[in-house]
Amino acid sequence: MQALLAAVEATSIAQYLRASRWGYAAVSFTHILGFALLIGAIVPLNLRLLGLWPAIRRSTLMRVLVPAAAFGLMLAVPAGLLLFSVKAQDYSSIGFLQVKLALIGAGILSAVTAHLRYGLALEGASETRLRLHALISLGCWLGALCLGRLIAFALD
Amino acid sequence: MITVNIMSTVMDTLKTICLLSLLLALGLGLRPPASLAHHGWAWTTGENMTLEGVIKEVKLGNPHGVLKVDSGGTLWTVEVGQPWRNERAGLKDGDLVAGVTIRVIGEPASDSSDKRLKAERLFLGDREYVLYPDRD
Repeated sequence: MQALLAAVEATSIAQYLRASRWGYAAVSFTHILGFALLIGAIVPLNLRLLGLWPAIRRSTLMRVLVPAAAFGLMLAVPAGLLLFSVKAQDYSSIGFLQVKLALIGAGILSAVTAHLRYGLALEGASETRLRLHALISLGCWLGALCLGRLIAFALD
Repeated sequence: MITVNIMSTVMDTLKTICLLSLLLALGLGLRPPASLAHHGWAWTTGENMTLEGVIKEVKLGNPHGVLKVDSGGTLWTVEVGQPWRNERAGLKDGDLVAGVTIRVIGEPASDSSDKRLKAERLFLGDREYVLYPDRD
């Protein structure tokens, strides 16, 4: 494992990012843009599932917010992996990051299985199921956001 | 249907994973770290000190550059700049390496058990390298 992480740090992109001012800033920006989109979409989406804004059709809201969240995730994950590569060995030992990755994994799995099972707008799910899913989703993504921020305060 | 059964099992497994992760996050992840550091100067005393010692370990590069400096038998963590800041100060590759004697002026952590110093300027021999020109 340590050898693999060292190999990641030795890649040319990791070396470039470690030394570059604006290259590193650009990746950092992309990561923030990605999770801002993801959180900005997933929070109102889950609040709707929990019963807020009953006058707005769920399927209409989800047609906008599900792709927005997915697009945000697709920006945040590769940019996050690039940021990780810069100090792979140090970062991998941080408890905050380990739990954050577990929450992201759980959040993605929970979203994918819910949509596979109940449809794109989760139209096949019961109210109870929707509320449970919304709580799990909020816990995963807000937890991941919080732990991600804490990484900056954990490293030697 | 078999697919539905499989999905059910997957959902239940997921729920367990989610709950365990949440418990972990609460129990393990949210424990405050041993030392809050890095961003800004809020964690420092606000007063400068001078540290002289020998560089033992060097980790430069984004997002933060860090040296381990042995000063009279105590190992200090000295935070220097990102690559652009070190370069602007006049530091070259190979200036900050293990074995070099260094004098650092900067602010230590308010928590005096945390032997950590954020460098404002440093000396290698007689030459001064200023990382934060706007700070005293």
